[in-house]
Amino acid sequence: MSVDVPAGPVEASAGDAADGGLTHPRRSLADRLGLGRLSGVYVWGLFIVIYAIWIPHTFLTLATLQSVAGDQAITGIVAIGLVFALAAGAFDLSFATLLTMASVICGSMMSVWHVPSGLAILATLAAGVMVGVINGLLVTRVGISSIVATLGMSSLIQAVIDRVTNGGQFITGFPRSFTDLASPEPFGVPVLAIYLVVIAFAAWYLLEHAPFGRRLQATGAGADAARLAGVNTDRMVFAGLVASSTAATIGGILVTSQIGSVSPTVGTGYLLPVFAAVFLGTTQLKVGRFNVWGTIVAIYLLATGVKGLQLGGGEGWITDAFNGVALLLAVSLAVIGQRRQGGSRLLPSGGRLLRRRPRSASTP
Amino acid sequence: MNDAASASEGLVVRGLSKTFPGQVALAGVGLRLRAGEVHALLGQNGSGKSTLIKILAGVYQPDPGGTVTVNGASLALGSAVAAHHAGLRFIHQDLGLVPTLDVVDNLALGQRYQARWWLSARREAAAARELLADLDAGIDVGALVGRLSAAERTIVAVARAVRGGVSSSGVLVLDEPTASLPAAETGRLFRLVRTVAERGTAVLYVTHRISEVFALADRVTVLRDGHAVLSAPVGEVSHDLLVEHIVGRPIEEFYPQVPVPGADIALAVRDLATARLRELSFAVHRGEIVGVAGISGSGREDVAPALAGAIPWAGGQMTLGERVIGRLDPAVAISLGIAYLPHDRKRESAIPAFTVRENLTLPRLRTTRGGWLSLRQERADAECWLDRLAVRPADAERVFATLSGGNQQKVVLARWMRCGATAFVLDEPTQGVDVGAKSMIYQSLTEAARQGAAVIVASSDNEELARLCDRVIVLHDGRAGAELHGSALTADSIARQALAAAVPA
Repeated sequence: MSVDVPAGPVEASAGDAADGGLTHPRRSLADRLGLGRLSGVYVWGLFIVIYAIWIPHTFLTLATLQSVAGDQAITGIVAIGLVFALAAGAFDLSFATLLTMASVICGSMMSVWHVPSGLAILATLAAGVMVGVINGLLVTRVGISSIVATLGMSSLIQAVIDRVTNGGQFITGFPRSFTDLASPEPFGVPVLAIYLVVIAFAAWYLLEHAPFGRRLQATGAGADAARLAGVNTDRMVFAGLVASSTAATIGGILVTSQIGSVSPTVGTGYLLPVFAAVFLGTTQLKVGRFNVWGTIVAIYLLATGVKGLQLGGGEGWITDAFNGVALLLAVSLAVIGQRRQGGSRLLPSGGRLLRRRPRSASTP
Repeated sequence: MNDAASASEGLVVRGLSKTFPGQVALAGVGLRLRAGEVHALLGQNGSGKSTLIKILAGVYQPDPGGTVTVNGASLALGSAVAAHHAGLRFIHQDLGLVPTLDVVDNLALGQRYQARWWLSARREAAAARELLADLDAGIDVGALVGRLSAAERTIVAVARAVRGGVSSSGVLVLDEPTASLPAAETGRLFRLVRTVAERGTAVLYVTHRISEVFALADRVTVLRDGHAVLSAPVGEVSHDLLVEHIVGRPIEEFYPQVPVPGADIALAVRDLATARLRELSFAVHRGEIVGVAGISGSGREDVAPALAGAIPWAGGQMTLGERVIGRLDPAVAISLGIAYLPHDRKRESAIPAFTVRENLTLPRLRTTRGGWLSLRQERADAECWLDRLAVRPADAERVFATLSGGNQQKVVLARWMRCGATAFVLDEPTQGVDVGAKSMIYQSLTEAARQGAAVIVASSDNEELARLCDRVIVLHDGRAGAELHGSALTADSIARQALAAAVPA
């Protein structure tokens, strides 16, 4: 079907004029983006150089490399789950307590009730997915804002944790088969890092190279338009929240195996680094989008920064300060970047942060 | 016009130019705006209209050499404060009102409250009432601005702009105030603009709608490519003359030849009911372009969304080819070959932050046999469609929001043609689209009809319906009222039927 276009020259000149303000800076912006998309990698490199000069004996060691790679793998897995929720435009504030709950349930089953580790893992996964399903139903069926729904859920989960641990006792004593899940280091590579790479590739395929991922991102970027393009937006939000819960549950199981004991506050430490990494990730590689590899870059960037400060003798509060600054800086950069692009909000944080759009039509 | 007369003139612009890197936006534009006259400014996107307004508002510093005088006094260019002091007031498209505050508070914003130390709600309300009554606006000052109709909101913005003694000697610039107003609601705004002008304010009225020039303005100036190509009293120009000056080519090429519709029915609805529709029945043939007209509240607004499954049905059924459907959601509508172009392009028709490619392929994502979404294939696919519809620029990786309104609309059309749509349902397809792009959209629609698609256009622009459609159904109270076609189909007859229908028989 070819459309005859007598208006060619007129339209072209109008287009050029309309773009006039844009075409010129666009080139330099593109150049800057080429640098900008990888700014995290440069900063990461800068951190390594600075620490290598400052504290070469403690920082430039295989042990440091292994500990950063291994410790951050769980953060990475949990963050990838959150990428799915945020890409669908849903906030998940319950993943940190859910991670603790998974750890508590899995640990209690094995050490208190002496359930075989395989069964304990399956039961924990089922419980975690269930939490995601309930979050999803609250947001898509009842229509509560995802922030409120997951905040409430997070408090409920905390109650379960307190009940099971009798107000915060540690649980230890797991079978060897379970602790082996996280400890091997084939060829010196922590197995947790391998899990992360596998999960990251799977997530990258789903998000970038499967129709599902495109629809998920469309839902987060413009729910009304996505619905009218035939996307089942409720299903996408639901899937995002379930993915986030599932990843947090996997994280909880792995952290239990890694540490060999259950701390009733283990999840709390993940909340901020994970959010910081996911938002910082939107300024990397695929700018303006929640994306898997950007998130991974962000995680290792943040972890390297924190690790160096710790090794350099920084006090405990340094970690929180660093992560807090990183989160605020990351979101500011993302927001400013969007404004530069002249686009409306690319992140769902603007419109969908506090309210969910009223459902103009019920899905039959 | 001699120099003595220019002293009494409200706004005189001489030789104004503005060069951006690589582009001349304004080239020596002159404009004379007499006190008490409504002066319409026409031009496509990119013709220099908004540059001119931004220079007047002090946002842009023009190239040296141009001058602007307000009531004989020279205006310091490039200063928003100087423009304000000189009595220039601007109403932009977004109005700058706060929807969650009431009319009284909105009127006080940007001006100030009557009192300095102690705010008395009663005194403020009385002052606001007086202002609106003085302008004969008839708006409840206690109402939240968000609850007002779009026309009423614009009226509040105008009232705020002329408040405080500027009205007699100032200049009021309205930038496309009706771009988001249904045609039926513009009457009240026009009366207000006339009232303001009659009191001595010079009004510069920027618009895309040519019919408004005749309804409202005393003089008209057309900009094209940064030049003022026409400036004349409204009495001396015709609709066609204006279009020719705006687009720079003869009128015959503007509205394409309407194709002859086929005989078989493509889409029919029976007793369709929604919140605003009651038992609407009609049928559309293959290759036919059917218009839906009606005043606001007649149900016209619901027709396109209902046919696309965007709003729930309360009853009725639709026949599409062989299939009979009792309810519809967007995904089903798409699978049946229905294409929907909503009037709210920013929020509903596409995802602004996505690229053109992603928007184009979203309804039907094609993967390789292995389930892999190949970006290279997708880009080739998208670029082929951008070529077909002559989208400018034909860059599939461009962010959708950065395209002009007309090109956005073409991308959405391309998206549905790609899905092999057999029925196109459009809601206000050219609202806020400039004249050149309008013509392109008409051509695309006509082309789609020529290929055998059924096209349904719901619009408040009667001129558009009369020229584009084979047949126009005028809605009345949620039902199909009069049906106009052939020589009986004119913009006037549509308006007459729509209004006549509104009066109970």
